[in-house]
Amino acid sequence: MFLQTLITGLSIGGIYALMAVGYSLVFSVLNFSNFAHGAVIMLGAYVGLALATKLNFGFGLVLAGSVAGAGIIAVLNEKLAYSSLRRRKAPSLYLMISAMGCAVFLENLVYATIGSRFYAFPEFFGRQVVTMFGSSLSLLDVGAFLFALTAILGLHLFISRTRTGIAIRAGVCDMTMCSLMGVDLNRLISIVFLLAGAFAGVAGVFLGIKYLVYPTMGWVTNKAYIAAVIGGLGSLPGALAGGLILGVVETFVSTYVSSVLRDVFSFSLLIAFLVWRPNGLLGIDSEDKV
Amino acid sequence: MTTMERPLFSVKGLTKYFDGIRAVDSFSFDVTEGSITGIIGPNGAGKTTVFNIVTGIYRPTCGEVLFRGENISGQRPDRIVRKGIARTFQNIRLFNRRSCLDNVITPLFQRERCGFLGSLLGTPGARKMERDLYERAFGLLKDLGLEKFASMQANTLPYGLQRKLEIARALATDPALLLLDEPAAGMNPEETRSLANLIAEVREKFKVTILLIEHHMDLVMNICSPIVVMNFGTLLARGTPDEVRENPDVVAAYLGNRKERK
Repeated sequence: MFLQTLITGLSIGGIYALMAVGYSLVFSVLNFSNFAHGAVIMLGAYVGLALATKLNFGFGLVLAGSVAGAGIIAVLNEKLAYSSLRRRKAPSLYLMISAMGCAVFLENLVYATIGSRFYAFPEFFGRQVVTMFGSSLSLLDVGAFLFALTAILGLHLFISRTRTGIAIRAGVCDMTMCSLMGVDLNRLISIVFLLAGAFAGVAGVFLGIKYLVYPTMGWVTNKAYIAAVIGGLGSLPGALAGGLILGVVETFVSTYVSSVLRDVFSFSLLIAFLVWRPNGLLGIDSEDKV
Repeated sequence: MTTMERPLFSVKGLTKYFDGIRAVDSFSFDVTEGSITGIIGPNGAGKTTVFNIVTGIYRPTCGEVLFRGENISGQRPDRIVRKGIARTFQNIRLFNRRSCLDNVITPLFQRERCGFLGSLLGTPGARKMERDLYERAFGLLKDLGLEKFASMQANTLPYGLQRKLEIARALATDPALLLLDEPAAGMNPEETRSLANLIAEVREKFKVTILLIEHHMDLVMNICSPIVVMNFGTLLARGTPDEVRENPDVVAAYLGNRKERK
């Protein structure tokens, strides 16, 4: 029972971490909270759903399609909604407001075109279980956790080793200076959104499989936001740690205390962190947090 | 005036308005290859604005910036850097939380065409390239006497050394023209003297042309020639240190008009 709860928590935490990474990437480079990220996750889930139900794709192709779809949507979102503000050097608050507008717009676009129905993914994993230490664990949970871990590790290698990753880290310090080092900022920011979108696509598919696909499913990113704050906005290892901690705490609270109190615990944790440790566990110094 | 070869860099009729304020007003001057040209002028004369336009951070309202005969005004900063113009800032802008070595290696990496997968997986080729870059970065630190501080976080260095690190980082972009914005700001006379030597050395060693803004008159008068004087966004005078020193307009701009003061 304990191990089962732990794995379920880690799997949810892994999904939170995938979402938090997207938040953190954008926050660290552009210094604003991209509230449209949830809508991108939602659209990623719909892309995956369409591939799975209309074209009967297998899990791998669904995941790849959703990653590509959500990545492109995130880049378009930046080009259409943020880049003109960015060029005028608008304060980051304006970008955040624009992001909220995008979230509402995209959600209602889905309501108007696809409708408010809840859809379920086909059962990719069935009720398959793996047995470990005498407990039976759902394959989906174990898979989601391992996949999240691998993806974030991959991103970490990308950021620390490649030329573009080094440019991203320089941009986190000082965007203008970064362009004076010969970095094309428009391209760099597109890459950041592409990465954030790709992670949103993965999160969307896992969320959709675990729960359901519906227009407001993106609001679960509230949790990812909490995870990002706990870990430290702008920090990748922080996003991973924050996501896993939040997932595990939530699952244990639902199992051993009460599932009704689950969100009370999560948001209390957020408040506690904002009061006592506003930079999170592994965060960088920052005054401007929303 | 001169019939010598084409200047490396020149600015023609450069004008920049900020709303109603005319920060730079039909400003023109040339920089000959290999020179150390100084720009001086009272505070607010528009010197830094000129640097910001030249490096692509601001777009000029009108006017041309010619580099090797090509008009580069209004281009993006990254394009201009790649053409060979690098700069430092008056208020130091290092990548503060990164080590000195990381600061210098960032531009080196951006000039390299390194394979994405190679770097991600750490293939032998990518590692060799990375080692070469680290060696070059370390060499640059050494040239500026910073090798002892390679692994220290940039913002923990003393002020004067941070300025040197900015120069090292600018040199890492392999510039033909180096713009220094008040490199001696906040330095004492002794540090200023050693900086003057360093700037002259850098010019020799890296074969760069230098354009610098400075308020320390002893530094400007010692190493710069010619000197360009700006006042209220316009060109007030241009000439050798002695010519500038004797120029009555320059004296008036700095000390006020004698008649007015009476």
